[in-house]
Amino acid sequence: MKTLKTTEVTLLALSLAGFIALAIASKGSLLSGSAIETLFAYVAVPVLIGLAQLVALSVGQMNLSVGALGGFVAVAGAIVMADNGVPAWLAVVGALVLGAAVGAVNGFLVVLTRINGFIVTLATMTILTGLQYQLVGTSTISNYSPGLREVGQAGILHIPVVFIIALVVAGALAVFMRRAIWGRQLLASGGNPLAARLSGISNDRSIVLAHCLSGLLIGVAAVVTLMSAPGVNQSIGGDWLLASFAAPIIGGVALAGGAVSVSGTVLAAFIVRLVDVARAQFSLNPSWVNFVVGAVVLGTVVLTHRRHGAA
Amino acid sequence: MKTETPEVEAAPAPVRRSVSRVTTILADQRTGLVLLIVALVIVFGSLRPTFFDEQFVVFPLLRDIATLTVVGLAQLAVLSIGHLNIAVGRMAAFGAMFTGMSYDLWHFPLYAGLVVGVVAGAAIGALTGLIITASGVNSFVVTLAMDFALLGLVSLVYSELTEAAAFTTKPPGMQELRQYSLADLCVGPVCGSSAIPQLAIFAVLAMILVGYLFSRARTGREMLMVGSNPVAAELSGIAVNRRIVGAHALSGALAALAGFMLAVTGGSFTAGIGGELMLPSFLGPVLGGTLLTGGFVSVLGTLLGTSLTQVVRQGLTMLGASVQSLSIWLGAILLAALSVDRVRQVFTERRAMSR
Amino acid sequence: MLIAENLVKVFPGVRALDGASLRIAPGSVHALLGENGAGKSTLIKVLTGVHKPDSGTLSIDGRPVTLDSPHAAVRAGVGVVHQERNLVPEFSVGENIVLRQLPAKGGLLDRAAVRAEARRCLDLLELDLDPDRKVRGLPVSQLQLIEVAKALSMDSGVLLLDEPTTASTPSEVERLFDVIRRLRDSGTAILFVSHKLEEVYALCDTVTVLRDGVSVLESVPLAELDRTDLISAMVGRAHEAVSLPDRPAAEPEPVLQLDGVSTAMGHKDISLSLHRGEVLGLYGLVGAGRSELAKALLGFSKITAGDLRVRAESVRIPTVREALQRHRIGYVPEDRKEEGLFLDQPVARNIAVTVWNRIQRKIGGVPAKRERALAADHVQRLGIRLSSTGQLAGQLSGGNQQKVSLAKWLAADTEILIIDEPTVGIDVRTKAAFHELIWQLAADGHAVLLITSDLVEMVTLADRIIVMRAFGVCGEVVNTHSYEPMSREVMGLIHADA
Repeated sequence: MKTLKTTEVTLLALSLAGFIALAIASKGSLLSGSAIETLFAYVAVPVLIGLAQLVALSVGQMNLSVGALGGFVAVAGAIVMADNGVPAWLAVVGALVLGAAVGAVNGFLVVLTRINGFIVTLATMTILTGLQYQLVGTSTISNYSPGLREVGQAGILHIPVVFIIALVVAGALAVFMRRAIWGRQLLASGGNPLAARLSGISNDRSIVLAHCLSGLLIGVAAVVTLMSAPGVNQSIGGDWLLASFAAPIIGGVALAGGAVSVSGTVLAAFIVRLVDVARAQFSLNPSWVNFVVGAVVLGTVVLTHRRHGAA
Repeated sequence: MKTETPEVEAAPAPVRRSVSRVTTILADQRTGLVLLIVALVIVFGSLRPTFFDEQFVVFPLLRDIATLTVVGLAQLAVLSIGHLNIAVGRMAAFGAMFTGMSYDLWHFPLYAGLVVGVVAGAAIGALTGLIITASGVNSFVVTLAMDFALLGLVSLVYSELTEAAAFTTKPPGMQELRQYSLADLCVGPVCGSSAIPQLAIFAVLAMILVGYLFSRARTGREMLMVGSNPVAAELSGIAVNRRIVGAHALSGALAALAGFMLAVTGGSFTAGIGGELMLPSFLGPVLGGTLLTGGFVSVLGTLLGTSLTQVVRQGLTMLGASVQSLSIWLGAILLAALSVDRVRQVFTERRAMSR
Repeated sequence: MLIAENLVKVFPGVRALDGASLRIAPGSVHALLGENGAGKSTLIKVLTGVHKPDSGTLSIDGRPVTLDSPHAAVRAGVGVVHQERNLVPEFSVGENIVLRQLPAKGGLLDRAAVRAEARRCLDLLELDLDPDRKVRGLPVSQLQLIEVAKALSMDSGVLLLDEPTTASTPSEVERLFDVIRRLRDSGTAILFVSHKLEEVYALCDTVTVLRDGVSVLESVPLAELDRTDLISAMVGRAHEAVSLPDRPAAEPEPVLQLDGVSTAMGHKDISLSLHRGEVLGLYGLVGAGRSELAKALLGFSKITAGDLRVRAESVRIPTVREALQRHRIGYVPEDRKEEGLFLDQPVARNIAVTVWNRIQRKIGGVPAKRERALAADHVQRLGIRLSSTGQLAGQLSGGNQQKVSLAKWLAADTEILIIDEPTVGIDVRTKAAFHELIWQLAADGHAVLLITSDLVEMVTLADRIIVMRAFGVCGEVVNTHSYEPMSREVMGLIHADA
C-alpha cells in the first residue's frame, strides 16, 4: 500500500510542478480559459485507453487491440449516424455495446483456446484494423450528429465535458475495482490465481470479464473521439497502443496483475499530456514526446527495481 | 502457460521409431505449410496467370518474403528465450538510420555502412537485454518502452540531420542491389534465375547463420535451454543473463539487417522504415511453429510462415482485395492456425494419456 | 464424524495412498503423522477435494460424500489450512479471510461486514491485527495465522490443519493451540498434521500414522502410545536397510569443508566436512534448511560468516557456473520438473548441457556425434530406459527423469555431488537401483552430499549423518547401517526438546 501511495503522491507533485513550470514558461498564457480547455480536452482519450489497458493488466492479460478496436468503433458509430441517420444516443449506446462485445470475444478466445492473450489480441487487432478500413476507406467522416459534437466542444467553467466524462469513468472504475464484488474477484484472480480458485472464484470468468470491461472502456474512448475530433477516418486509434501502456505503467500497475492504481493512471496520462504541451510551448519536434515518454518508462522500470532491491 | 507433460513409458524402441518418423513428417507443421503454399500458388496462378510474371510479381514477392523472413528471424531470436521484442520495427529503423548516416555523412561504401547499421542494431538490442536482466521486468514492457524511445529518437535524428527527413545518398552498388537478380550472377555460362532478387541472398545467409546457431552452436542451444526452463538453466551452470542479452543483441542485429533491406528496396533511408513490422515479425515464426513460451524455434518454419502470408497477400491483391482488408485475412489466418495447433495438442495429450 | 476408508490414489510411478483410513470424531483433535513421502499431503488433498481418490470411501456424519472440487469440500463443511500460502498479497487481511464468500450489499463489497467477520475470526485467535491492513509485507508467521482465520470464517464441522506451526513463534503456537482447543470443545472435528511430536502430545487426542500410503496405526488414542511407539510406527520395524557391498574407505583429506558458516538465508554456524569416496547424509525435517544450504554453496545466497573451503582452499562461489567449472561441484535438485530438467528438450541435450562448453569446436559448434555418444554412454551407465536419446525428457517416467537429471552432472565430470531427495515419487524397484547407483558413485571416488527425508534411504547410504534443525546443525551420527538404533538416534536428535 505504501509504495502505491508514494507513487501517486510523486505523480501528483510532478504534474503540479510541471503545470506550474509550464504556466510560468508560457508567461501565464497557459492559464487562459481556452488554453486550459485544450489542455484537458486532449487528456480524455489517453486516460480512457490507459484505463482500458489497466483492466486487462489487472488480471495479468494485455490488450493489443486497444487502438484498432477504438478506431473501428468510432468509424462504425460515425457511419451509422451520418449515412443511416441513427440518432446520436442510440449510436453511443451501440458503440459501447460493440466495444464490450468485441472485448468479450477477445476474452473467450483466450479462455477457450488457451492461446497467449498477447497473440489473440494481436490477431484481433489486425482484423479490426482491416474492418475499420473496409468501413471508411480513405475518406474522413465529419458530417454526423452536430448535437453530439456540440456537447463535445462544450465545457463547464472551462473544463471540457469530455474530460469530465473521462474523470467520471475513472471514478466509476475505481469504485468497481475497490468495492464491487466482481471487481474484487477480478483482482483476486490477478493477484493469486491459485488462492482465487481455492476460494471458488473462476479465473476464466475473471479473464473474460476483464477483456469485456477493457472493450467497454475503449467504447467510451471511441465515443469521446466522436464528440471531440474534427472528423473520423482510418487513422483514428493508430497511435493508441503505446500510449495505453505508458499511462498504467508509469502510474504504478503491477504488470503481473493484482494491483491497480486508477488515480496513478489518470495522473500519468496527464503528465504525458503536459510533456506534449511543453513540446508545443517550446516549438520542439513532436518526436520529443515519444522519446521522453519511452525514456521515462524505461527509467521507471529500472528505478522501481532498484527500490525493491534495496528494501 | 505451460501444460503439464504427461508421463509415458517408452514403448519398445524399433516399432516406435519407424512409426514416429512417418507420423512426424506428416504431422510436422512445416509439411502442412509447404502443401498449403503450393496449393495457394496453384489456385492464384490459375485464376490470375499473371501471378507467375517474373518481373512484376515473383521478383518483388520474393524480395518481400526475404526481408520479412529476416524480420521474423529477429523476433525468433528472442522467442527462443521466451521473450518478445515489440521494438523490432524500430530497431530496424535505428540500424538503417546508422547505415544511412554512414553513407550520407561519412561516405562509407555499401557494405561498410551495412556493418555499421548491424552493429548499432546489436548494440541497442544488447542495451534492451541489459535493462531486462538488470530490472527483472518482463521483456514486453521493456521493449515497448524502447519502441517509444526509439520512435522519438529516430525521428529527431532525421529531422536534425537531414533536409527532407531522409538520407538519400546512395553508395555505389545500392541501386544495383535493389534491381539485380540471380540472372546477373553467373558462374561461367550458368546464370541464376531472373525471378530471384539478389537481396534474397541476405535472407539465406541470415537463415543459415541463425539455423546454425540454434541447432549446432553452444550459444544458441543454451538460449533454447534458457527459454525451456530458466531455473534449470541457471542450476545447470548456464550464464542465463548473458544469454538473454545475447538473444536481444541478435534480435537487434537482424532487425537492422532487415532495415537495410527495406531501405535498399525503398531507395532511401527514412524514419518510417520498419513502422509496419510488428505483426509480420510474429506471423512468420508463430505460423512456422516457433513457440512463444521459448525453447523451440524453427528457422525454416519462419521462412514458410512468412511465405504463406505474403502469397496470400499477393494473391488476394491480384484478385482485387484492397490492401487494408488483407489484414482481416491475415489476422484470421493467425487465429485459425493457432486454434488448429491447440486442438492438435489437446488431441495428442489425450492420446498419450489414454495409453 | 469424518470417516475415510481404504483410500487409494495412484500417480504415475508411485502409489501415494494405498489403503489409507482414518476417522476423526467431533470434539477431538486427531494427529496425522508420517515421514515425508508417507502420503500425508496426498491424503489432505483428497480430503479437501484437490485430488480425486482412485478408490475408497469418504463419509461425513454418516452420509457418503464425493469431494470433486475444493468448492465441494467447502460445501461439505471441510475447512483447511494449507501448507502453501494462499493469500492475495494486495488485498486487506479482512478480505483475504472472507474471500470464499465476500459479503455483498447490492453488488458492492460490504466493508463493515468484512471487518466485523474478520475481527471475529482474528479475536478467536487473539490476534491483534488491523483487518484493513494489506497482506503484503506481513511476516510469515502472521500469514500463517491469517490462513487459520480464513478457515475459521467458514464455521466448518471438520477442520484440517496441515503443519500450521512451521513458521510460528512459541507464543503464537500457544495461542493457536488455545483456539484449537476451544474449537474442539465446541464440537469441531480437527485433523492436525505436524512433524513435531511435542506439539502432538500437547494437543491431540487420537492419532493415525501413515507409512507408504497405508495407515499403520489407525485412530488410536494417543494416551496409549509413547514417543518410541510413534517413531517406530512412522519408520517401520520391518524396513530393511539393504546392505550394499563394501566400499574403499574415504580419503582422509576433506574435499569440501564448512567451518562455522552462516548464510544470508539464516543458517547459523554450520560446520561439516565431506571427503572423496564417502556419502555424507544431511537429515532433517522439511524446513530445516538443507536444500537452502545446498543452494547457498552454489552461490544463490551470500555466506555471511565462516569459512568455505574446497580442496583446502578458501573460496567464494558466486554462480553455479563457477561451482561447476572451477570447483567441479554439481547439484541434483529435489524438484526435477521445475529445477532439474528441460522437459520439452531431448534427453541428449538434457544430459550434455553441462559439457557443451567443453566439447564445442572453435566456431562454437557442438559436434552432434560426440554429444550423442556421450549421452548414450550415460544412458547406458545409469540404465535409463528410452527409445532414443532424441526423446523428450518430459516423456520419461519419474525414475528415468531423475536419472537424466543426475546424468548431466556425471557427464560434466563433477567430483562433489550434492543430491537432494533423489527418490521422491519414485517406485520401490527404481529406488533400490538408485541406491546402488549412489553407492557406486562414492566407490568411484565421488564425494556425495546426500539430502533426503527418507530415513531408510539415509541409513542405507550414508557413512555419516549430519542432523539439521532450524537452519543449524544439531548433531552428527556415524552410521552403522543398522536401521533401528540409527533411526532412534536421529529421531532423538530431531525431537530433543529445544
